[in-house]
Amino acid sequence: MEKKIITLRVNKQDYELYINPKTLLVEAIRDYIGLTGTKRGCETVSCGACSVLVGDLAVKACSVLAMQCDGMEITTSEGLEDNGKLAPIQKAFLDEGAYQCGFCTSGMLMTTSGLLKENANPTKQEVKEAIEGNICRCTGYNSIVRAVERVAKGMYKEESL
Amino acid sequence: MTTTSLAKEKLHVINTHVHNIDGIAKVTGRATYSFDVKLPGMLYGKILRSPHPHAKIINIDASKALALHGVKAVVTGKDTLGVKQGIWRRYSELCDEQILPVEKVRYIGEPVAAVAAITEEIAEAALDLIEVEYEVLEGVYEPYEAMKKEAPEIHEGVERNINVTRHIEWGDVETGFEQADYIREDHFFCGGQAHMCMETRSAVASYTPEGKLTIYHSNQSAYYMQALMAGVLGMKEGNVRVIAQYVGGGFGGKFELDGAIFTSCILSMKLHRPVKVIYTREEDFIATKRRTPMHYWVRTGIKKDGTFCAREARVVSNGGAYTGMGATALYLTGFFHSFPYRWENYRYDGYRVYTNTLPSTSMRGFGAPQAMFCSEQQLEWIAADLGLDPIEMRRKNGHYAGYEVPGQAFIASCGLDEAFTVMKEWIAKKGKLPANRGIGFSAAGFMSGGIFNWFDTPYSFSSAVVTINQDATVELHIGATEIGQGSNTTMAIIAAETLGVKVEDIKVHSGDTDHCPADLGAWGSRQTLMTGNATKRACEDAKAQLLEFAYAKMGLNIVYDLDIKDRWVHIVARPERGMPFDELVTIALRGKDGQRIIGRGFYTPHRKGMISPAYSYMLQGVEVDIDPETGKIELLDSLTAHDCGQPINHLGLIGQLEGAFSMAAGYGYLEYMPYEDGKLMNPNLVDYKMIRATEMPETPIHDIDTYEPEGPYGAKEAGEGLTNPTAAAIGNAIFHALGVQMKECPIRPHMIVDALKEKAEKEKAGK
Amino acid sequence: MIHDFTYLKPGTVKEAVAMLSDHVDECKIICGGQSLLIVMRQGLIATDYLIDIKGLKELDYIKYDDKEGLKIGATTTHKSIEKSALLKEKYPVLPIMEERLASLQTRNWGTIGGNLAHADAAGDPAPVLIALDAKIKVGSKAGERVFELGEFYTDLFETAMNHEEMVLEVQVPPMAPKTACAYKKFNLLQNDMGVVGVAVKITVDASGTCTDARVILGNAGVTPVRAKSAEQILVGKKLDEAVLVKAGEAAADDADPVSDIHASEEFRRHLIKVLTKRMARQAWEQAVKLG
Ligand SMILES: Cc1cc2nc3c(=O)[nH]c(=O)nc-3n(C[C@H](O)[C@H](O)[C@H](O)COP(=O)(O)OP(=O)(O)OC[C@H]3O[C@@H](n4cnc5c(N)ncnc54)[C@H](O)[C@@H]3O)c2cc1C
Ligand code: FES
Ligand code: FES
Repeated sequence: MEKKIITLRVNKQDYELYINPKTLLVEAIRDYIGLTGTKRGCETVSCGACSVLVGDLAVKACSVLAMQCDGMEITTSEGLEDNGKLAPIQKAFLDEGAYQCGFCTSGMLMTTSGLLKENANPTKQEVKEAIEGNICRCTGYNSIVRAVERVAKGMYKEESL
Repeated sequence: MTTTSLAKEKLHVINTHVHNIDGIAKVTGRATYSFDVKLPGMLYGKILRSPHPHAKIINIDASKALALHGVKAVVTGKDTLGVKQGIWRRYSELCDEQILPVEKVRYIGEPVAAVAAITEEIAEAALDLIEVEYEVLEGVYEPYEAMKKEAPEIHEGVERNINVTRHIEWGDVETGFEQADYIREDHFFCGGQAHMCMETRSAVASYTPEGKLTIYHSNQSAYYMQALMAGVLGMKEGNVRVIAQYVGGGFGGKFELDGAIFTSCILSMKLHRPVKVIYTREEDFIATKRRTPMHYWVRTGIKKDGTFCAREARVVSNGGAYTGMGATALYLTGFFHSFPYRWENYRYDGYRVYTNTLPSTSMRGFGAPQAMFCSEQQLEWIAADLGLDPIEMRRKNGHYAGYEVPGQAFIASCGLDEAFTVMKEWIAKKGKLPANRGIGFSAAGFMSGGIFNWFDTPYSFSSAVVTINQDATVELHIGATEIGQGSNTTMAIIAAETLGVKVEDIKVHSGDTDHCPADLGAWGSRQTLMTGNATKRACEDAKAQLLEFAYAKMGLNIVYDLDIKDRWVHIVARPERGMPFDELVTIALRGKDGQRIIGRGFYTPHRKGMISPAYSYMLQGVEVDIDPETGKIELLDSLTAHDCGQPINHLGLIGQLEGAFSMAAGYGYLEYMPYEDGKLMNPNLVDYKMIRATEMPETPIHDIDTYEPEGPYGAKEAGEGLTNPTAAAIGNAIFHALGVQMKECPIRPHMIVDALKEKAEKEKAGK
Repeated sequence: MIHDFTYLKPGTVKEAVAMLSDHVDECKIICGGQSLLIVMRQGLIATDYLIDIKGLKELDYIKYDDKEGLKIGATTTHKSIEKSALLKEKYPVLPIMEERLASLQTRNWGTIGGNLAHADAAGDPAPVLIALDAKIKVGSKAGERVFELGEFYTDLFETAMNHEEMVLEVQVPPMAPKTACAYKKFNLLQNDMGVVGVAVKITVDASGTCTDARVILGNAGVTPVRAKSAEQILVGKKLDEAVLVKAGEAAADDADPVSDIHASEEFRRHLIKVLTKRMARQAWEQAVKLG
């Protein structure tokens, strides 16, 4: 085994890491970089708590190696806000109460952010299908779906300009 | 009785649309859970678990593990005081669990040893190097087997492995059955269910040389953990500090000691370094606790006109290896099995039986979902047998405000009747359904906190301290635990309403035993009512102190009342006359020689019967489509009619009800815990199925306006009780769609296919 | 815990196959890692070298021409297949199948090559592609080989590839006229792995008589199962209820499913019977409608 140096660009900040190549992306983010907003809830790529954006794509950070993201742009829930100004999806989660314990919330925010990048105006069914890989034990999901619908309806447009 | 004039008092903050006060921390990834805590010099712990369901520990040799580079310590039961602990502290025979057992293991996954090392990976590698010599004993996994005379003894001296029995009785069932025109008996089985909190059990313990132990732990009651850990460590409670600031879900599974908190503490005390123990998802499945599996036998007698005469039920539950909260679940299932109806004659006998499986305990609904699955389906079948309208039959026998459950409980508020009306309209509107589609509903009720004190706490059940700062901001210290249910926000709303300020003026301090008064915590739906009352009283105390200064300053005639609303202190009859709240605070500070105004409030229920100070009521309707060839169930629509008294937090209420629905629906048809020879066969999220977004129907909610005199501002439970009716509602929908009776839950596809086959054969034979 | 390995990242297929031949039995390919990392974490696979082909752009393509048919490169993601307008037109069953494959995140990152190489008996693409008479092209330093996908699977998680080979491409012939393919899996959650899955392809003549049929069963044995006796029942007939029921029963007999906590062997056979009947009907109805 040979340790490797990689650069992850997380939330618009470059981090140079010296890692064992078996390090998962979620471990790099949480344990090396120290951004603990991204959670882990399983060992089987089943729960979605670790979801982040790699480029514009929602990906489960426990299912890829950090090495595979060398040089790539990664966004976590900590990177959604802009200088303290919340992103529309964050505001929508607040307005709909789309979180309870909050443990799934980062993953939900990132998965739905990925969906909205791909499809700015998803139907209810499309939202449900997009978050199908994310388990929330608390909310029953419908508030999360409503939150995404709010953003899709453009309810936060003026504010975010 | 629904609304009293009291409830018409104009509320300024309660039930308005507010964001949860911890919302921003949660949507920005800032909220730090025990799972995320990292302390300087921290070590990582891992637990070696028993591969055997029942075995004596003969010897543990950790020398090879200790020799591994990076391993700092290995502990076993012999490194502990060996205290048999349990949450029913008043009853020593029910304190039966050593978290690191000294002599014997009783289920697969039970902790046997724990390692601390400089990395998680080394700790895990070290587990493989610990050599444990077991004498394997015969195991027993099913309660009926375990009760047999020849069954192996799981706990010394416990005859026939019967752990607890519970008996509830009023009236005279024999006479009742004699009066009945129709008697029906059924057997049911309700399975276990995993709490499946998204945050697995997590703890970071840090023991420092001054003899202080600080623990970050994911739990539902910081006070219980403090008291229980002090007990097993032989420490003073005051030297144990438990912090549970953000908790990734609880659902009834996180208010007993778990292996994470216990082993992290033992290791940290041995090493004087912080130690973190996090469960994997698999450990969380195999080695925490679960909803109690129950075999139910129900006999019901009824008159032709639908009058309920008598109900008799017997439960044999699979207790697993230890008591936990199982004794309470056994009691509550028997009590809520009578709900929400007026049985003149009722008898319940419950038996909780030890087996060599994962211990069972409390879980959202606390025995009531099992009770309702059986009761509400059987009632539906009875209505069909007798040609009665299932809603009117239930309504006729339903609880009402002013009713006393004989010798058990007094119902001071009850919105059941309106709930039946709402459900009836919803069903009628649906009209005739296509083939293989059915609507089912179920009624239920639930408690707002328990009155029992098996924990033997010397403290009030809830306490609150409120302190007014010079800038008119407010510190609210409560012992309640915020586990996602929104209790911090609920208390902030109650405090803001009572003091007459805004929610953003309130800073809530909770979940830290060093800084918060004791409170029994977040279980049994107790915090809104109990901590809510304590908070309200603390705020009333502070407000009264403040208003003394306002009266003095304003020099009013004694007949005038003063009040504070929206930060404005004013004469009630002449609201425009008054002064700003912050001005009053300044005056009061000066008047008190600089002492801050501190209000104190307490709550312990008294003279409230056997169970709870107040009861919520709910009806859950579901529309279901069933594929009769494959047995696949799809939830198409739903309706919740719910009476939680005065809602405190509008958004929070919706969230609680929707969440309860998803968990309860999962219990009804997906969440399944199969065991083979004591081994859980699906301890992962691939094979353990639960509701995902694609399985959720719409969840419209009809909130019924009632006022609970015992609750703060008329509030009572919301969010746990709605776990109770849903599995039965799904069963009833299947009954109406296909004419088959499902007596086992979760209702799985092959059961429907088999039931249809059986029905077809019967019909053929009948012809 | 994942066993330590040396990480290798080839820039081209040529480099990749060279690495494979250098390390033969001590190496493993990772592409999207969606399946591999789980089994590595469980300790079921330990490898000294991990060859990361996720970045091989030269294998990321979906190509079609009327003569040669369809070619999909191994590193093409599920997402690209799901969203491909070309496939929606030419092989609509593929995007439909993909929509129900795993979660959005896994489709975003996981690849068709990885899926087919992984040889999970419950995988969705294999039964569908086999029904479409697909071939799979594999390559090594020694050159390329092409297998019928139907002959590629040898056992649970085993394929006919040797350890120096990698999947390069899956090839699907053009659809014959008046031919349609339908696929459905039975599961409890919408996008869950199938308890069983059934793919049926039907070709009809102008009179609506079935002239050719493929019935492929997923998770009904250690490899995808071709239900030949069901196919024989369908061919030469118009697919009325009686024929469909018989075909379903034949497929259930052809299957060799396991019992597990999700379904007994008997219930799996029952489900195969139902799904075969339904998919054959669906494919037939679609084929009849085609010009
Ligand atoms: C939560 C979850 C749900 C899933 N649900 C489904 C489902 O419903 N249906 C379904 O079909 N699948 C499902 N999958 C599996 C998923 O589709 C596959 O894991 C994925 O497509 C594999 O692609 P990959 O690129 O990630 O492969 P990897 O995980 O990188 O590799 C998988 C295997 O293939 C080998 N391999 C990869 N590429 C090549 C190549 N080019 N040549 C030779 N060998 C190679 C690897 O060595 C490894 O053994 C699910 C997976 C997850 C995590
Ligand atoms: S941690 Fe569960 S999917 Fe990544
Ligand atoms: S908010 Fe608790 S798991 Fe989603």
